[in-house]
Amino acid sequence: MTSATNSAATRVDPITAAVVAGTLESIADEMAHKLTRMSYSSIIRESEDFGCALLDGQGRQLAESTLSTPLQSGPIPGYVRGVLRRFEELGGAIEPGDVIMHNHSYYGASHGPDVGLIVPVFFAGELVGYSVTTAHHLDIGALSPGSCGIVDAPDAYSEGLQINAIKVYEGGRRNEWVWRMLTDNIRASGLVVGDMEAQIAAARIGASRFLELIERFGLATVQDASEDLLDYSERMLRRRIAELPDGTYEAEGFVDGFLDNPDPRYSKLRVAAAVTVRGEEIHVDLSGTDPQVDLPINMPFVGTVDIAVYVVLRSILLDSAVNEHVPANSGLYRPIHISAPPGTLANPTYPAPVIARFCPGNVLAATIMRALASVMPEQVSAGTGNLKVVAYSGLRDDGSYWVYMDITEGSYGGRHRKDGLDAVDTLYANTRNNPIEDIESHYPLRVERYELRENAAGAGRWRGGQGSIRDIRFLADGGFSMEGDGNVFAPPGLFDGLAGSTGDSRLNPDTDRDVPLPPMSPYRKAAAGDVLRTVSPCGGGYGDPLERDPAAVLADVLDGLVDAESARTGYGVVIDTDARRVDERATKELRAQRATA
Amino acid sequence: MDLIVGADVGGTFTDLVLYDPGSGSVGVHKTPAAGNPAETLVRGLTELCARAGVPAGDVDSLLHGTTIATNAILEHDGAVAAFVTTRGFRDVLHIGRHQRPQHYSVMQDIPWQARPLALRRHRKTVTERIGAPAGEVITPLDEEEMRGVARELRDEGVESVAVGFVNSYLNPAHEVRAREILAEELPEALITCSSELFPQFREFERFTTAAINAFVGPKVARYLVGLEEELTARDMRGRLHLMMSNGGTATVTAACEKPATLLMSGPAAGVLGGRWSGNRAGRSRLITFDMGGTSADIGIITEHGIVEAPARDTWVAGYPLLVPMLDLHTIGAGGGSVAYVDKGGAFRVGPRSAGARPGPACYGLGGDEPTVTDAHVVLGRIDPERFLGGEMVLRRERAEEVVDALGGRLGLGREEAAEGVITVANSNMAGAIRERTVQRGLDSRDFALVAFGGAGPLHAAEVAEILGVPEVVVPPYPGITSAMGLLTTDLRYDAMRTVFMLDSAFDFDRVGADFVTQTAELRERLREDGVAEEDITVSRALDCRYVGQGYELRVAVGDEKLDEAGLREVVEEFHRAHEREYGHCFRGDPVEIVNLRTTAVGRTPKMDDFRGPEPTSVADARLGEGTGLFRIDGRLEEVPVRFFDRLRLPAGAAIPGAAVIFQQDTTVLVPPSWTAEPDEAANLVLKRSSDR
Repeated sequence: MTSATNSAATRVDPITAAVVAGTLESIADEMAHKLTRMSYSSIIRESEDFGCALLDGQGRQLAESTLSTPLQSGPIPGYVRGVLRRFEELGGAIEPGDVIMHNHSYYGASHGPDVGLIVPVFFAGELVGYSVTTAHHLDIGALSPGSCGIVDAPDAYSEGLQINAIKVYEGGRRNEWVWRMLTDNIRASGLVVGDMEAQIAAARIGASRFLELIERFGLATVQDASEDLLDYSERMLRRRIAELPDGTYEAEGFVDGFLDNPDPRYSKLRVAAAVTVRGEEIHVDLSGTDPQVDLPINMPFVGTVDIAVYVVLRSILLDSAVNEHVPANSGLYRPIHISAPPGTLANPTYPAPVIARFCPGNVLAATIMRALASVMPEQVSAGTGNLKVVAYSGLRDDGSYWVYMDITEGSYGGRHRKDGLDAVDTLYANTRNNPIEDIESHYPLRVERYELRENAAGAGRWRGGQGSIRDIRFLADGGFSMEGDGNVFAPPGLFDGLAGSTGDSRLNPDTDRDVPLPPMSPYRKAAAGDVLRTVSPCGGGYGDPLERDPAAVLADVLDGLVDAESARTGYGVVIDTDARRVDERATKELRAQRATA
Repeated sequence: MDLIVGADVGGTFTDLVLYDPGSGSVGVHKTPAAGNPAETLVRGLTELCARAGVPAGDVDSLLHGTTIATNAILEHDGAVAAFVTTRGFRDVLHIGRHQRPQHYSVMQDIPWQARPLALRRHRKTVTERIGAPAGEVITPLDEEEMRGVARELRDEGVESVAVGFVNSYLNPAHEVRAREILAEELPEALITCSSELFPQFREFERFTTAAINAFVGPKVARYLVGLEEELTARDMRGRLHLMMSNGGTATVTAACEKPATLLMSGPAAGVLGGRWSGNRAGRSRLITFDMGGTSADIGIITEHGIVEAPARDTWVAGYPLLVPMLDLHTIGAGGGSVAYVDKGGAFRVGPRSAGARPGPACYGLGGDEPTVTDAHVVLGRIDPERFLGGEMVLRRERAEEVVDALGGRLGLGREEAAEGVITVANSNMAGAIRERTVQRGLDSRDFALVAFGGAGPLHAAEVAEILGVPEVVVPPYPGITSAMGLLTTDLRYDAMRTVFMLDSAFDFDRVGADFVTQTAELRERLREDGVAEEDITVSRALDCRYVGQGYELRVAVGDEKLDEAGLREVVEEFHRAHEREYGHCFRGDPVEIVNLRTTAVGRTPKMDDFRGPEPTSVADARLGEGTGLFRIDGRLEEVPVRFFDRLRLPAGAAIPGAAVIFQQDTTVLVPPSWTAEPDEAANLVLKRSSDR
């Protein structure tokens, strides 16, 4: 590939390019709008754990919806490549009127529960694009109810149905037999199949809008404008990479893993990243990452590892709060190269299980951000806190399943001139929580606490974000499973900031039935009255806490986020609690003393 | 004499319109905003009456659109507010939906974390709990604890308190009792209950709405009380009604109770003004398009009325807001929008704006970036001598310089670059309109575009062309259409509550009783406002969804108590609405009724007749001729352009494009293949003359 940095040679005039680019994004947004509103399960409609994208005839992503989560839209080109590979291997071709369902983790899918539905776009008999939606489904027929916390799956087969390039509509005709098999093998199949139908409807709308665009401008113009658009995003990323000093920057991160497993290979797993910047390209080498294991914490190389890398690099290099809007398309992948030795957590060999790959992937993203901290100190945060995801389930009186998936949050570390974000999804995840009032109206669950942690964020000139505490009580007998991380390794501080704090998970806290739970907890039964508590980690601090503005420390004390004792020990700030103000002189003395100590 | 005045207070100007129902005559006045908005308004009103030669005391009704609440939230300049909630949920306002507003950003700020409506120190919890879905009391409100909290807040000096308890939308008893205790301990404070505002589920959004109410409330009350005093002091004792986000008006008392319903006051009036003009032109399906210096507001009107926003898609200044409001969409495209080439070589127009100062380069006030207005000047679509009725002479050479520089970066000539600026801006606006129409199942080809604001009529025909909209209506005074809209309003109050009921287990008696209660409360309120019984109309609706879905669609229901047959009709209409909106429906799937809604409208005197200024003849209206550059079938062509004076054009005079029609507060562009014709109602109607 030739360098595009300094030449902006384009195929169409800039005005047409702007119009086509805007239309493509608006089509993807319309797909998302329809999908969220038509879908049934809260994981899509409330948590927005879905993706929508338009691809060109070569399977390159041209646009993704702004509503959706990066871990869903990003993998979409990989799904299409996986489908094409499968057709090459076994025979098969994409025909008009087809709708292809796909979720195979070793054929580009992010993991089994994230089912892709692909509608090909034909113009004058030629395959000119793909309109694709992905979404996390509540259940995909794995060994225990729900689609998260399947942490005891020994292999890919036990993770649920492996749907590898299956035509659920063929030439416009619905393949009833496949749908019957899905319905028979999936729990809460009414919801899940309804969501799949909504995905198809949304993908079809995208396809027909894409055709309208082609009819309006002509195929050649749309294709040329698409090439320009890919080049543009690529160029924007290359410009930023070129500003970084050449070199190799390394970091390592750790995943809690299976803490209750006596075999040490299953816990405290290492993710290693060496990020090499050369000119306007980046190479990410994950050598040194621990070997794969036969429990589902391995990460699909395509669909999880690549997306974690792309998302974190663009979030710091092309941070949308700081930079121009850059269209999210496949052009952004071009300057980035990734390698990981086969047989490791970051490049597992089939049929190693991968379903609970979310947490290690986010650790990988954090590790890459950390590797680049020394050369991009103003664009990164100190250590981020990871998430926990819980599947709650039970049987109704009529024998049908209810399944509810609760995604908790993490927190960001402190940032240049800013404290960390409190209690949010981090890095490559960006879902939404489910309203408590929605949960309580529809499931036999009651949320009893949802608050920030106190006195736990990493101290720093800019402190880490606060994690959260969430308590959910079963009102009827049922069960739950959990996948999570962050109970062992506190998010590290940066530039003399202190580490944040670890998270926690336990059953029936503050009672005599208190049971600590490992963050990777396979399905277990729960009785009415049981309470599950999840505590998310607090982010690390950024910069020396002794340099924090005393007024900011005072505000935290008044807000109950830091107590006066921690203000003194952590920040060297003396608060006169009665007067609700900083004791300036005592603070000066204490800080001077601490600085020389 | 029952004079009616509409007063729309905006950021730069206060627009006033005086209507005399006796003669049908209208007087208009524009006064620059300066200092205290109440004083500006009263000064403008005095000037307006003096010009019209009527005593200000004869103004019977003053209808007022205000940005006071909007600015308080945009500038984060509100009250010291507190939030009282259920034990265990102190930080719902802060955690929100735990989603970052931007996917790809480490350095972003989250509005509710960076700019809290109630600081954590003022967020208190009390022991209490309501259950769901039955709304039963699980833990009674600890009144002693509540009183302790109230005293703490008093000692902390808060001015305003919001109360939001989990599940209070199902049972407001605890919030009501908390309010009583707070009122006893903090008699001066504004107290807002989340369940009294609008009892809908989704705690973060409902709590935030209550907190916004608490945050903006004291400022709104001070302003309105001050305004009433000013008016009284000048012997202006007519009714004062405020424009609300829902497209109706409210009395000062009602507005002070629910100030969060004022946040879209300004743009809502614009939609009403657009509807008034469109209806007078005989059209009922309308897209209102109000384009000013920095942004464009879009509203949609169908034969069923103005489209209202779905309950959970409404945001103000980055905060969610669950109040009934018109479905208004604002995009960053205006005359001042800056055109530039970004670092990657892409051509962009807006959303950054040069504002009023320095403004477009052609203002000659130091602006050195090309804007949409500069592009119009280069293309000869704005006459530099006639801008704002000649109040400001534009500098063409400055516009040419900056557009040349832009063209240089794009490899385009001066005119091509200028036309490109307009094309990209038009495409952005058409995209925003498409999002509200085609994407919602409304075919834009069945609509007319009503174009107003300073820049709307310059862009309308070309935007309509992109959307396949066949007609554009330009109101008589495009620059003050919002103020005119105020003269067409009625008092309107809304009530709603979440019920969660399956169509198979519908509680007819409970729904019937709830509707009766809502109706009685709203009627009583209108009677208190002095509305006669025969002037009150009440409408009811149910928000429905398929069981499991998270978004509802609204279905209107009649006055009578629902029965089995009525419910079947509601469900059938819901299927149809779903099909219209999403192109898909699931007949046979169970339907959940989520919210009951009642709206009561109290008719108030309004502008029912209107006489525009006396026209003369086409010959007299003709101002001259030049050339202009237009995109025809994708290619740029130079064509002759004729210039006219709008006010002198008689009704029925068809003006074929290309033409530019000037008037004091705007310029109307008639592209080639469009024809403009003034109608009997003083609108200028643009039609596409040839189908392509």
